[in-house]
Parts: sequence; C-alpha cells; structure tokens
Amino acid sequence: MTCLSVDHKPDWKAYALGELDAESRRQAEAHAASCASCREELDAVRVTLDALSTLREEEIPRRIAFVSDKVFAPRWWQAFLRPSFAAACVIAAAILVHAFVRPSTPVDSAAVQATVNAAVTKAVTDVEERHAKEMSAMLADYEILSRQVTRMYVVDTGLVRQ
Amino acid sequence: MIFREVEDRDLIEKARRGDVEGYNLLVSRWEKRVFNYLLRLVSNREDALDLSQDVFLKAYQNLPKLDDVNRFPAWLFRIAHNEAFSLLRKRRPDAELIGEPRRPDPGPGLLPVELSLAVQSALGRLSEDQREAVLLKVYQGFKFEEMAEILECPVSTVKSRLYTALDVLKTTLAPAVLRTQTMGGEG
Repeated sequence: MTCLSVDHKPDWKAYALGELDAESRRQAEAHAASCASCREELDAVRVTLDALSTLREEEIPRRIAFVSDKVFAPRWWQAFLRPSFAAACVIAAAILVHAFVRPSTPVDSAAVQATVNAAVTKAVTDVEERHAKEMSAMLADYEILSRQVTRMYVVDTGLVRQ
Repeated sequence: MIFREVEDRDLIEKARRGDVEGYNLLVSRWEKRVFNYLLRLVSNREDALDLSQDVFLKAYQNLPKLDDVNRFPAWLFRIAHNEAFSLLRKRRPDAELIGEPRRPDPGPGLLPVELSLAVQSALGRLSEDQREAVLLKVYQGFKFEEMAEILECPVSTVKSRLYTALDVLKTTLAPAVLRTQTMGGEG
C-alpha cells in the first residue's frame, strides 16, 4: 500500500521529531486519518524512536570543576610592605637618629621634643600617603591581571575543591 | 525551562566576569549531556571524560567570543563536536573505517535489556556523521537549525544524515523490536 498524494505527503520523520509547525502538524494529522499507508509509515518511525529511547544516559564518572590560579595571592614577606610597618620603621629610625645627634650643650628640651615630634609626624604622614598611592596602583594592576590571566586548572571535585 | 534559560544566562555573564564558581555551576548543569553525547560518539568512557574536560575549558576560554548567550547550548556542542572529531581523525589518520563498526564500550549505566543493547550496537553501525545526527536530535533534542549550526552544514544535509540513519536503524532494530513485542505479548 502506498500513499497516493506524493506531492503533498507529510514528512513523517519531521512530524515524529517535533519539527513541524502547528499548521503543518494539523494537515499531517488530517492526512493520516485517511491514509493507511502514512499511518503505517508514522508508526514505523515511532517504533524506531521508542526503541532508541531505551538507551539511558550514563552518569558522568567524575564531576568536572575548575579552580582559579592563586598566583596572585600575597606572599608572607609582602606583609612587611604594609604602610603601618613602614611607618613604625620610620619612627624607630627618627628616635635613633635623635639619640645619636643630640647636642651636648644644654638646650631647651621642650623645643627639641616639639621639633622631633613634628618631624616624625611629617615623616609618618608622607610614608603613609606614598604607600596608600602605591597600594592603590597595585590593586588596580592586580584587578587587570586577574581578569587577563585567569588561568584555569581542571580538578576532580572528589579530590580537591579550592 | 524559561527560568533555567534565565539562570544559564546569568551564570554565563558571571563566568565572563571571571566568577569561576558561577562557571562551575554552569558546568554541573551541562556536563552529563556533553559527556553522553561524546560517549556515544567516541565509544570510550575515558576519552569521553577527557574530551568533556577539554570542552568546558575551551568554552570558558572562549566565552567572551559568544555573541548571543541564548545560543550557548548549540555553541557548547559545536565545541564538543570539534573535540570529538579531532580525536576521531587521530584514530584513523589514513582512511575511514567504513564497514568496521566500533564496539561500544560496555558501561555500568546501561540497562541490561536486549533492546537497549541492540540500540547501542545499531548506533555503533552507523557512520559517525549519521550517529552524530541521531545523538543531537533524538538524545539532545536540538532543532534542525541548531544542528546545522553545530555541524556547520546546511539543514538539508542534517536532514539527509538523520533520515538515512533512522532508515538504517529501523531495519537494524526490527528483529530486536519484534522480539520485544513478541515477549511483551506473551507476558
């Protein structure tokens, strides 16, 4: 038995695979209602697709995950570059210098103390400002680099998850 | 499905900004589908797993080049297709292994029923192009246009490969289908 409407025979594979639009589906169904040959052909396609559906998906043996590169993490020695540490060093240096160059003749101790304090305060302020600028620049560079060089490593989630 | 697409889009945007955890979530949603597509195509679990990792690494590296995030699925499977056929070409550098169906790698997830095994065997008898067309349409649910994008060929070629494959499968699976129907009738 063959379908007589060769020119208008529906595409039954496309129909069974869900590729026809609503209007084409309606026309195909109307045709099948009056064409035994086409019903038989559609059944055969469906049987094949049903058989294919018995093959189940497998679980992936190991999960896939990624970690970002920690190359930009700060090192231990970089702690010494912090502004507070640098400021403490400046204060210590100022005290030492003052101790060694202190004049032997009697002087006005209050005036000297005030001068030293002012010098120390100014030095600390200058260092903190300089380091704040440097830190801002470093952070900006870090942001750019971390975007550009996000190297990835593949790991098994069962083993490492950083 | 709509919510899923919205969330995928969000995760893609996060990944583009360097959010690795966002990308890992995206991977967890797609890894099973990609793995199974590759497994059926290359017929080897270890190769399929290695290829899956490569696919997601390349996808991450190339995410900024993805113009339309709504086309992420087809774009991802395009990468998977390229990786799989790169491996398949290495396996047969000199000639096509026509007439030598690769034996499917038996895995623990397969159902121990005759029809399922017959399907696995029948898929292995198809040419790589035909098998891939079946995998993308029947098992991954892509539209013809998306398949054409993944395979970089006209829709007419996609349909030709798929329809030929279905005709071959119909013939190959007929005995197993008949036995199953007979057993069902007896039961």
